[in-house]
Amino acid sequence: MSKLKRRDILKIGALAATGLGFPAILRAQSKEIVILGLWDQTGAFSDIGPLNDRGMRMALEERDMKVLGRPIRYVTRDGATQAGASTRRAEEAVDGEGARFIIGPWSSGVALAVSEVAKRKKVVHLFSGGTEDISGARCHRYSFQWAASPYTAAKTVVDNFMKANPKAKRWHLLVADYAFGWSVEKYVKEVGKAHGIEFVGADRHPLGEREFSNYVQKAAANKPDVVAMVNFGGDAVAGAREIFNFGLTPRLPLIMSWSSGVEELVQLAPEIRDNLWVGTNFYYTADTPVAKSFVKSYQAKFKLPPGYAPSAAYSMTRMLLAGFDKAKSDDVQAVVKALEGLEMNDIVGPMRVDGATHQTLRPYFLLRCKPKAAMKHELDFADVVATGDAPLPKEYAACKDIGSF
Amino acid sequence: MSLLAGQILNGIATGMLYALMGLGLSLITGILNIPNFAHGALFAVGAYLLVTAVNVFGNFWIGLVVAPVGVALLGLAIEYAGIRRLYAAGHDYQLLFTFGLSLILAEAIILVWGPVGISHLPPEILRGGVDLGFTFYPKYRLFVTGVAGLLVFLTWLFLEKTRYGAIMRAGIENKEMVSLLGIDVHRLFTAAFALGAYLAGIAGALTAPIRGLSPGMGVDMLGIAFVVVALGGLGNLLGAIAAGLLIGVAQAVVAAYWTEASTVVIYAVMAAVLLVRPQGLFGIR
Repeated sequence: MSKLKRRDILKIGALAATGLGFPAILRAQSKEIVILGLWDQTGAFSDIGPLNDRGMRMALEERDMKVLGRPIRYVTRDGATQAGASTRRAEEAVDGEGARFIIGPWSSGVALAVSEVAKRKKVVHLFSGGTEDISGARCHRYSFQWAASPYTAAKTVVDNFMKANPKAKRWHLLVADYAFGWSVEKYVKEVGKAHGIEFVGADRHPLGEREFSNYVQKAAANKPDVVAMVNFGGDAVAGAREIFNFGLTPRLPLIMSWSSGVEELVQLAPEIRDNLWVGTNFYYTADTPVAKSFVKSYQAKFKLPPGYAPSAAYSMTRMLLAGFDKAKSDDVQAVVKALEGLEMNDIVGPMRVDGATHQTLRPYFLLRCKPKAAMKHELDFADVVATGDAPLPKEYAACKDIGSF
Repeated sequence: MSLLAGQILNGIATGMLYALMGLGLSLITGILNIPNFAHGALFAVGAYLLVTAVNVFGNFWIGLVVAPVGVALLGLAIEYAGIRRLYAAGHDYQLLFTFGLSLILAEAIILVWGPVGISHLPPEILRGGVDLGFTFYPKYRLFVTGVAGLLVFLTWLFLEKTRYGAIMRAGIENKEMVSLLGIDVHRLFTAAFALGAYLAGIAGALTAPIRGLSPGMGVDMLGIAFVVVALGGLGNLLGAIAAGLLIGVAQAVVAAYWTEASTVVIYAVMAAVLLVRPQGLFGIR
């Protein structure tokens, strides 16, 4: 019978830690640069994680998985669309794999939790999504926001929509009832004031709502000139469908203010897309050299053109790599400093990272969907009506001091 | 006032679909004594089969007939090849089996039809809406309300007024007694499962043009179906119908005044009723 004592077990544990864990980190520090893609493979955004992964992989493969003359090791973890799982797995990848650069996850609320991990573990974190807090009230030196500010989005959508429809003054809003919805709603109302828009209704619905008939009937009773939705993914698709079923579109214009673009539009029949106006962080016909080559190689691989999800992951990865190039180092603080103020001409056009808030200043898109008869092919969903890059005015800025390392 | 009238009408329309789902689940749960976790997945399969059938036959009406029959056959196969073998193994195994099955069916939908959602428009003749005076209402929803109501009525008629229906009801009450009377309970179980699956399938097919299709569409419906069964009383068919309508109308009316609460109200109604009547609205056990 073995006489294993507590002391022996501790010894074995210590031996295992030095033998297995530590050299892996040392190895990582000396040679490879480890980057974590935290993408949801399960949970509410399980359909989006694989798309994020595609984009990130393509950006790394473009550079032959190398930066600064050293190999990149791309590790991924399933964020599970949950704060608990995402933070646990991010910490595990930082401690166990030596990852010091995190991109993702997709959900605003979950990303805010991961941002706290980045702050605590002192690792670089890039994110794209609809919460204004990462570059606002909860800003810090390690997290960066790729998506346009909700203000930029609202300004682009409302200004340009009103230019095309100056008489459409009665608006009814349908808003997803969580952080992202509230941010965008706030600015849509703010920007709307200047146009004399009257908000005849603003109803909030729970995330994951599938029965929109009740909201739509209420919207119809308000007799609006426009219905504008501030929701995302399945919610936006279900809402647009019911608004069509109840005969509001195409009679009235419908606005999806913060859409994933292709991934949502492809789920709607062309009839439903008639008189649909779409605000989005990326559309695949964007007239930039980077977008053209990315869309071409993406479509060659996956048939469907890329929407917001793969494009954001692609561009965030390129941004991080540009940070390495500029810093000429993989030191976390050096990369953070390099990213602050970084300028690049990427898929959406000219982009600049604001050093004071870590918000990327960049164009946002407003699309108008084409009627069925005007579509040249089945993926010819929409025309880009306008782009806008008005930054968040100082009086709204909640990130007063981004702090030190 | 016209808003309220409109919402009540809408609540009845949605409630009829809930009742259809709840009725099927109640039947299966009552007779087989297992909560069928695959009920939502059968609903989803019904919707996807409709789209495929419409594409194959080029006709919505044929699709609407064929799709739920397909789901009923699937239900038949599930009972015959799976659940039946687990009667001896006990309750937990059957429960796990239906749960596993729901995951398998959801993944199978992704394999066959892809992960991206699909829109399916109503047939040409039922597109657009009619002005009812107090509200403008989509023709297709009126059609669905009518068909769902008719199906609920026919199912009730079958169970209440036919000999085989009486046997099924007896099966819910007391399986041993039915068995002692020389009736093949296994065949009864298979029939009940197939009928329940048919109702889930046709609910899915009818819903497809309203809610669209996505691989996870069954999950939302499954939760509601369970609420309907709990609220109506286990195995109580009239209860399932009343509970479906109650939830649909409550959801719609609450949405008119307090939209944020329109999902919570489903569970709030259930909790409130169960506090007063733990056996459900019409339940006896």
